[in-house]
Amino acid sequence: MNPLARAFFEIAPYLLTFAVFALVPGRNQRLPLRLGMGAVAALLHVFVTCTWSGAPSLEESATSWPNLLSFLTFLPLVAAVFLLFLPRQSPGLLKNFTLAVLAIDFVASLSLLGVSAESGWRYQVVADWIPSLGIRYHVAVDGLSLWMVLLTTFTTPIAAIVAFGSIRERIKDLCFSLLMLHGAMLGAFISLDLFLFFVFWELMLIPMLILIGVYGGVDRIKAAYKFFLYTMVGSMMMLAAILYMVWTHKTLAGYITFDYLALSKLVLPKTAAYFCFAGFALAFLIKVPVFPFHTWLPDAHVQAPTGGSVLLAAVLLKLGTYGYLRFCMGMLGGPAGVVSTPLASVVIALGIIYGALIAWKQDDVKRLVAYSSVAHMGFIMLGLFAANPAGVKGAILQMINHGVSTGALFLLVGVIYDRRHTRMVGEFGGLAKVMPIYTSLFILVTMSSVGVPGTNGFVGEFMVIMGTFLGFEHLGPFAHFQAILASTGVILAALYMLSVVQKVFFGPLSNPKNKHLPDMNARELFAISPLVGLIFIIGFFPSLFLDRMGPSVEAVLDRYREHRQEFTAQEENSEARLMGRRGGPLESGYPEAPKSDAEKTAQASKNQAEEKAQ
Amino acid sequence: MELLTQLFPASHFSLLGLILILPLLAAFVNGVFGKRLGREAVTLMGLSAIFAAFVGAVITYLMLLGHGEHGELVRFHFNAWRWLQLEGVGDALAFRAVPLDVAFSVDALSGTMALVITGVGFLIHLYSSSYMAEDPGYYRFFAYLNLFIFSMLVLVLGNSLPILFVGWEGVGLCSYLLIGFWFSEDQNASAGKKAFITNRVGDFGLLVAMGLLVYYVGALDWHGIEVGRNNLLQPVKVWPVADSVPIAQLLPESLAEAISKPRYASAATLVCLALFLGAMGKSAQFGLHVWLPDAMAGPTPVSALIHAATMVTAGVYLLCRLSAVFVMSPMAMAVVAGIGAFTALFAATIALVQNDIKKVLAYSTLSQLGYMFLGAGVGAFEAGFFHVLTHAFFKACLFLGAGSVIHAMHARIHDTNDSQDMRNMGGLLKFMPATAITFAAAWAAIAGVPLTSGFFSKDEILLMALKSKVTGPATISGGQHRVVLENFVWPEWYSGLLYAMGLLTAILTAFYMSRLVIGIFLGEFRGWKIVPNWVDPHAQPASGAHDDHGHDAHAAAHDEHDDHAHHHHEKPGVEHMEGPTPHESPWQMTLPLWILGGLSLFAGLLNAHLIHIAPLGHFLEPVFAEASKSVEAPEESVESFKWIGAAIAVFIAAAPGIGLAWYTYVVKAGRPAAEAAAKFPRLHAFLSDKWRVDEFYKATILDIVDSLADMCVWFDKWIVDGILARASAFVIQAAGAILRQFQTGRVQAYSAVLMFGLLGVGTYLVLPHANVREHFDHASGVYKLSAAPGLGYKYRWDVDGQEGWDGGDKFGNRTEATFQLKVDEERVIRLEVEGPLLITSRYEKILVRPRPDASSAAVTPQKPEEKSAAVQLPPGHPPTRAGSAPDAKGTL
Repeated sequence: MNPLARAFFEIAPYLLTFAVFALVPGRNQRLPLRLGMGAVAALLHVFVTCTWSGAPSLEESATSWPNLLSFLTFLPLVAAVFLLFLPRQSPGLLKNFTLAVLAIDFVASLSLLGVSAESGWRYQVVADWIPSLGIRYHVAVDGLSLWMVLLTTFTTPIAAIVAFGSIRERIKDLCFSLLMLHGAMLGAFISLDLFLFFVFWELMLIPMLILIGVYGGVDRIKAAYKFFLYTMVGSMMMLAAILYMVWTHKTLAGYITFDYLALSKLVLPKTAAYFCFAGFALAFLIKVPVFPFHTWLPDAHVQAPTGGSVLLAAVLLKLGTYGYLRFCMGMLGGPAGVVSTPLASVVIALGIIYGALIAWKQDDVKRLVAYSSVAHMGFIMLGLFAANPAGVKGAILQMINHGVSTGALFLLVGVIYDRRHTRMVGEFGGLAKVMPIYTSLFILVTMSSVGVPGTNGFVGEFMVIMGTFLGFEHLGPFAHFQAILASTGVILAALYMLSVVQKVFFGPLSNPKNKHLPDMNARELFAISPLVGLIFIIGFFPSLFLDRMGPSVEAVLDRYREHRQEFTAQEENSEARLMGRRGGPLESGYPEAPKSDAEKTAQASKNQAEEKAQ
Repeated sequence: MELLTQLFPASHFSLLGLILILPLLAAFVNGVFGKRLGREAVTLMGLSAIFAAFVGAVITYLMLLGHGEHGELVRFHFNAWRWLQLEGVGDALAFRAVPLDVAFSVDALSGTMALVITGVGFLIHLYSSSYMAEDPGYYRFFAYLNLFIFSMLVLVLGNSLPILFVGWEGVGLCSYLLIGFWFSEDQNASAGKKAFITNRVGDFGLLVAMGLLVYYVGALDWHGIEVGRNNLLQPVKVWPVADSVPIAQLLPESLAEAISKPRYASAATLVCLALFLGAMGKSAQFGLHVWLPDAMAGPTPVSALIHAATMVTAGVYLLCRLSAVFVMSPMAMAVVAGIGAFTALFAATIALVQNDIKKVLAYSTLSQLGYMFLGAGVGAFEAGFFHVLTHAFFKACLFLGAGSVIHAMHARIHDTNDSQDMRNMGGLLKFMPATAITFAAAWAAIAGVPLTSGFFSKDEILLMALKSKVTGPATISGGQHRVVLENFVWPEWYSGLLYAMGLLTAILTAFYMSRLVIGIFLGEFRGWKIVPNWVDPHAQPASGAHDDHGHDAHAAAHDEHDDHAHHHHEKPGVEHMEGPTPHESPWQMTLPLWILGGLSLFAGLLNAHLIHIAPLGHFLEPVFAEASKSVEAPEESVESFKWIGAAIAVFIAAAPGIGLAWYTYVVKAGRPAAEAAAKFPRLHAFLSDKWRVDEFYKATILDIVDSLADMCVWFDKWIVDGILARASAFVIQAAGAILRQFQTGRVQAYSAVLMFGLLGVGTYLVLPHANVREHFDHASGVYKLSAAPGLGYKYRWDVDGQEGWDGGDKFGNRTEATFQLKVDEERVIRLEVEGPLLITSRYEKILVRPRPDASSAAVTPQKPEEKSAAVQLPPGHPPTRAGSAPDAKGTL
């Protein structure tokens, strides 16, 4: 067979996918949408085949371009600064520029999929930043943050498209905020230096504050403050904990460093450990959010513009769960293990069940989705508390799922809000008649949110529940009881989601204002199509995601178990100490004690000598 | 056959993939492109996909038959891809890695089910192509229907519990969509929602069962569960959850003892009860049955396919599939049989008084499902499953016949309820002979007329209910707590009770089904006054849709409801209304009726144990081989016993039921029934209200959840948000409000504050402060006191241990005093400081020189202890002097 023909047969399946999905839009839709949807479908197809285990995977590109992560993070940040020099009067330019940057970022981030599934840090970059304080620029991804980075680069363009559709003024500020937020979120996911992490963590706050406070609804200022203050309280506690840990490490190791790898060696005395854990956990649990710190979320969601809500739900909340897994469980596994059983009960009773019950009673669709987020995030936290591979992998998958499903739900709520400028359930009814495509998509996403098998929601929830059933090791004798209680969330989810679906879409079309609502337009359809695609891809092929996170999850859990044992084994009133070095792939980039000048010159001359010898 | 075996080897039976993918593909194409493709293309797509799947199922079945000659279990596998893997610590702290593949398998049981699903499914698709022809949502309907077939096939062909669960929820979803197919009526949408949520309660049970299986057995695929099921034979502490009940101490002793007594159940019982909860939801057993009657809001073909023939029997399928697990728990089996028998009886009593023909059929479905569970519960899985099969035929036939009747009624009566009311029918035999004859055939089967399919399957269940019971191991021991648990033994009277309930149900079934047939087809037509060549005055000439053939007024009426709100309802009845001659349905609708009618009559021969023709039974035997080991059934040798049982079924159940109905409704034209209703009005109302289960749920569970949710909302708004956000904000605000008072910007206020401040500082300066720095050396006994200096201070001391001031009452400039004390000596020392305004301040202290501690003194030479009683110097004190204050000896 000649190479041309072979190449044709290789791309034929993708072309077919492209063609089929290009035909999906109805008769009255125009060409760009067709091309767009076809491209999205073909891209997803490529994604599935390329990441399929056994398929020839992309070569490990970490060596070819080590600075990929820095590029991903700083491209939007630099672009945001550059954007300030573009004219405010040409919103089209600003929008296209932003979208282009986000698109480049997304495409570049896809090469992360080429990394092998083994545990260890990929694309690691270590450089001194503020040497006198031991602060370094240390970024890397592993099987956990990999998916968070991809989730971010995947979601932000969608959120941008949505935001550009509904927001008409102050485009420049909007673009600036989106780019800043994007860069900051990515930075927070890849930082392995606590100072760097803290900088990005705080940097996220401001663009989000602007998104809510400038482009939000009537009560936007109040909601923005609430969001800001809640997060800030947590951040301050975390900062105190970081500083304490850095100080303790310095007294033990003799040099100062903010590095995650170094600080995770620390075994603190019990009281100090609990306090540090409380500091970190407060920051992350507020962000998740977990009862009783969850009330900022509905307010922020209700007031935020659609694009902001999508980002908030899809990515920002994930920073809480990711942070808990990475920092609380990774550095303070001892106290995290002790509180995991009571906290698991909290997220079940006061997250999954309580959140669902409140969601059921909401009249504002967006508020309902926000409370459903509380319930879903409860599942994620439960998976983390179960702390076995099934639970944690399920939790990470559920983070992606929640980003996809809840993002899609917010997007869909935004569609109706743009048309009617209200989200109250009572204003609607019988919309299925005038907006059939919208209805179909809404029901589909609802099913994903409810966790119907075949969609992404099921796989995550199922794994978390099974993980809880198998969670005796860390959850103790209540594991089964907790798992059964958590399973009731499945019933409640159907209750609140189907109630709102019935009220909005079914029944007679009674409100005359809804008689002539236009169905979804090309922009909205295009924005939601990748989310819909992912709903099914994750539902049917979760292994694509799970396989890649498996080894990293196991490595994290090993460390967690070790921390727990060290913590429980230590005596009352014992001094802080450092665990022994273990080596291995997770230790690469470990900060060494800074050398004195004499040593440095000695080292340099030695190197030179070696070079000469070669 | 050779070729097929080579093409599809047993370990990689990819034909299953083909059977599954076709309906899915059809669903996708119809759902997405159907609107553009047009009605013919949708029909073609839907029908051909299902027919191809049916052909595939037939081939599979033949291949299974070809392999199954040696009486061992034949199972073809098709492993599609790795889905996910569950890892964690399971029972006895063993690490569990449970791989879950998207894998399918087919054996005698699932092969039979697949055949029924695709076969009956195809007939119903054909029927729908005419029944739904005029509906604007035609393509949507076929997409849902195809998706349903796909999900149902996944359910039965799935090789593991989670894959079954995919289908399980998939059919639930399709059922939800199809019940609410005509969504513009709130009632339909509510019914759909109710079905979905009730089913979810069952799905919750299934989830729990999966969790327990993963934990105890470490496998979720059929083979793995069967192999590892012995791990389920261990006691599990179900109460108390923790080591003790926390509130027990607060209760009286006897009560506390009762509630804190540990209670155990075998793991098998827990798993089986959880599984049965799932089955109850899907198969609408008493407790979770409330959705099925409401589900009749969907189009009639849907009721036939989903809510009678296939989906609702999924629960029975699950029981049969996991029969080897179920028989391990006699207690769970007793529950299954009991609930089954009760559901059968309960639904039959309700069916007696319903007038809506679809409702009658719905309750009869409930009742028949109860039979199936009764059969499975007593260990007669084969009999229960056979009833699934025959029920699929006759119930589908009945529903389709009812649809045909409703279709005819829609020629004049457009209201949903009126067109389904049997009081508006009657005498349709002469207008719709094909429908009537096939309906009668199905009626004969369900009523148990001898030699029909229903007779054989029902007779077998009744017989087994009497003689078969489940015996598990006598004791179960082990588990984490090392306890020995006595297994549950069925009481003697239980079989008799089950049999009696079953028999009573059989009588009632014969009665109400005869009533239905008589009401629809016999007597005089009561719907309207028949006027040949009648033309509908409301018909708009432009629409032209009112030809009699293939017209579905039902759907059209729905469309009109929204567009013409004034569409008036006429009261049906001969005296109120005129209309055309009721018409037989077109061939697409009657052909399925004939086929299903024929099957209803003759399918019994597949498993007629009574006359020793049971090919299906032999085929299924290997599937239930494991289970039957734990089922205690007397030998088949007593031939006469079987015949007596059959005779009882005929002469005590079927014949009296039919006869009584004939007497009541034909001979006496329904008067006895009316009299009975008048005589026992409360009983009649109770039955008409369906035992008021819905109302009971509304008043209990739903209201509790509702008020709980209200409480949560209130709590969230006022307590959580109130304390965390509002209260903290209030505190900050209040603090701010107070502090703001000091920042008014008025010069007078500032100068006043300045004045008061100066006054305060001045007063402090003017008042003397007797601050003393102490320098004690207990070892040598030398004590030194130095008074802090101040502006214009004068001092007088009393340190010599004698009355009166040292050196008289006059104040002097001495700032330091040194003296010696003996061991154990006690002395009161005093100092008075006089400020410039002659105000004095005092310092007084009792000093004791302690005994020297020999041991400590030996080790470390005691250092002079320095104590500072005056760390604070008076403000305004010159800094130079303050710094040198402690050793300001020079001022002496």
